[in-house]
Amino acid sequence: MNTNSHGQPLAIAGGVAALAVLPFLAGNAYLEHLLVLWMLYALLALSLNIVIGYLGELTFGHAAFVGVGAYTSAILSTQLGLPPLLGLPLAGLVAAAFGLVIGYAALRVVGPQFAILTLGFGAILFTITNHWVDLTRGPMGITDIPPMAIGPLAFDSARPTYYLVLALVLATAYLCHALVGSRTGRAFLAVRENAPLAASLGINVFHTKLMGFVAATAIAGIGGAIYAHYIRVITPDIMGVHNVAALIIVVIIGGRGTILGPILGALVYIGLLESLRVAGPLRMVIFAALLTGTVVFLPGGLISLWQRWRNAHRSENTQPATPTGLPSTEGGAK
Amino acid sequence: MNPAAQEILAVSNLTRIFGGLTAVRDVTMTVQAGEVVGLIGPNGAGKTTLFNMLGGSLPPSSGSIRFAGTDCTGAPSHVMGQRGVSRTFQITSLFPSLTALDNVRSAAYRTTRAGWGAAILRSPAYRREEAELRRKALEILAFCDLDHRADTLADAMSYGEQRRLEIAIALAAEPRLLLLDEPAAGMNPEEGQRLVEMIRRIRARGVTVLLVEHHMRVVASVCDRLVVLDHGVKIAEGPPAKVLNDPEVIRVYLGREPVDA
Repeated sequence: MNTNSHGQPLAIAGGVAALAVLPFLAGNAYLEHLLVLWMLYALLALSLNIVIGYLGELTFGHAAFVGVGAYTSAILSTQLGLPPLLGLPLAGLVAAAFGLVIGYAALRVVGPQFAILTLGFGAILFTITNHWVDLTRGPMGITDIPPMAIGPLAFDSARPTYYLVLALVLATAYLCHALVGSRTGRAFLAVRENAPLAASLGINVFHTKLMGFVAATAIAGIGGAIYAHYIRVITPDIMGVHNVAALIIVVIIGGRGTILGPILGALVYIGLLESLRVAGPLRMVIFAALLTGTVVFLPGGLISLWQRWRNAHRSENTQPATPTGLPSTEGGAK
Repeated sequence: MNPAAQEILAVSNLTRIFGGLTAVRDVTMTVQAGEVVGLIGPNGAGKTTLFNMLGGSLPPSSGSIRFAGTDCTGAPSHVMGQRGVSRTFQITSLFPSLTALDNVRSAAYRTTRAGWGAAILRSPAYRREEAELRRKALEILAFCDLDHRADTLADAMSYGEQRRLEIAIALAAEPRLLLLDEPAAGMNPEEGQRLVEMIRRIRARGVTVLLVEHHMRVVASVCDRLVVLDHGVKIAEGPPAKVLNDPEVIRVYLGREPVDA
């Protein structure tokens, strides 16, 4: 039963160590920049995965919360001179507040209706950002956003930013791991799998979904803020349809409902996005084909390939040991 | 069975109207703690509608429901669940892409306390509760003859196993009252007999059972008392031997569908 947990801590330590030395292997600023983008998308995808993977609801509004976080921290630092380090948690809080209000309204419905509602709310936030020129400078965007800094340590280049986002990705991965192993997370999965049954077992379906939605939007807001202070320019495009699609593609291709899936999906997405630059606008067609192909042939995402291999491997090794203790419990149950 | 008989469920004048159709009309009935009560009646008699009202998934049009001394009329499903009413569904209803063990662990929501925060901190209370939950979940799986299937995904199980897993899920919530909606549906006589044994063992755990069932052999061998519905109205009530020989009950059944009663 516990055969899979033997090598786990070792594998995780190895993976983290590999991620930690990656920037030194990258060798140039461009590759380091791509590593930062990978980690940023991994962070955002992990947060989106809470809604898509654990709660089982599709949302088209996630990029809007990334934007809310990015704009919150950008405005606070450029107009009020607030240190970006303070802006980070505030961005999370403001995004969570938006998530609470929008989730409270939208989670009254489920499935396709919910997805369409989030699309609508996302479009509203995008439009407001685009037109409220006094606050957001509209389509011109906000420029000269100061970089993040902790004391003397400035995150003004790719390498330190990479470590900052990597730390956040690992923290979020741990949060998700703890979630799934807890009563709260099991309620998430119960609601995803069978809402009426979950309710009959005492789980408040609406509150459970709202909690997950707000947690996801808070992390999205923090990710948005880091993006703003790293790129140092933001425009309303951060909330656009392109970003909405990108995040969903990352989660689905990687493997929804898993922790490694979104991280892997982000790597594939950023990697392909860059290597397909030669293809020009055709890139998006290739991504669409990839998404369709994944949904049809690999519903569990790329990560399920590894799970399949592991399961096949495990059942080969443990076949004779599986039916342990069956006769004795049969007698003891009477 | 239970010397200090105590009323756990009291339904009075319960009515549910769908548009112009009265699915349940003015039903009054009680269930004593420790009893196994069968709810029978031909198709369309309103049994499942009554069940849905008791489980909180359907608000009554009028009348009242008292559970364990508290008025629960119109309480939503999750509130009934928290108060200790668990149910199974007529159509197989479980958490399909989770393992049997995780089905049962998810179902134990009501009996656990340590949430996300405790899991993040790995507090001693969390670790104690998780260990206890695992032990309890395996015990319940063993109780339902499913311990050898703990790591199997629910939707990869056979029909009979899935029906037993549904009962395991309902038991994981440690209910005081268990509502079973046609648990023997689609079962062969041998499986039906195993079900009867299981319901007896559930009662021995201290759980009161109310079941809707069509298999008269199951109903007659496991129930202390029967309540008969027809067209939403209660037409008979009493011990199985008496009720199943009631001319009105026989007329209602034989007039509509042949039953091996």
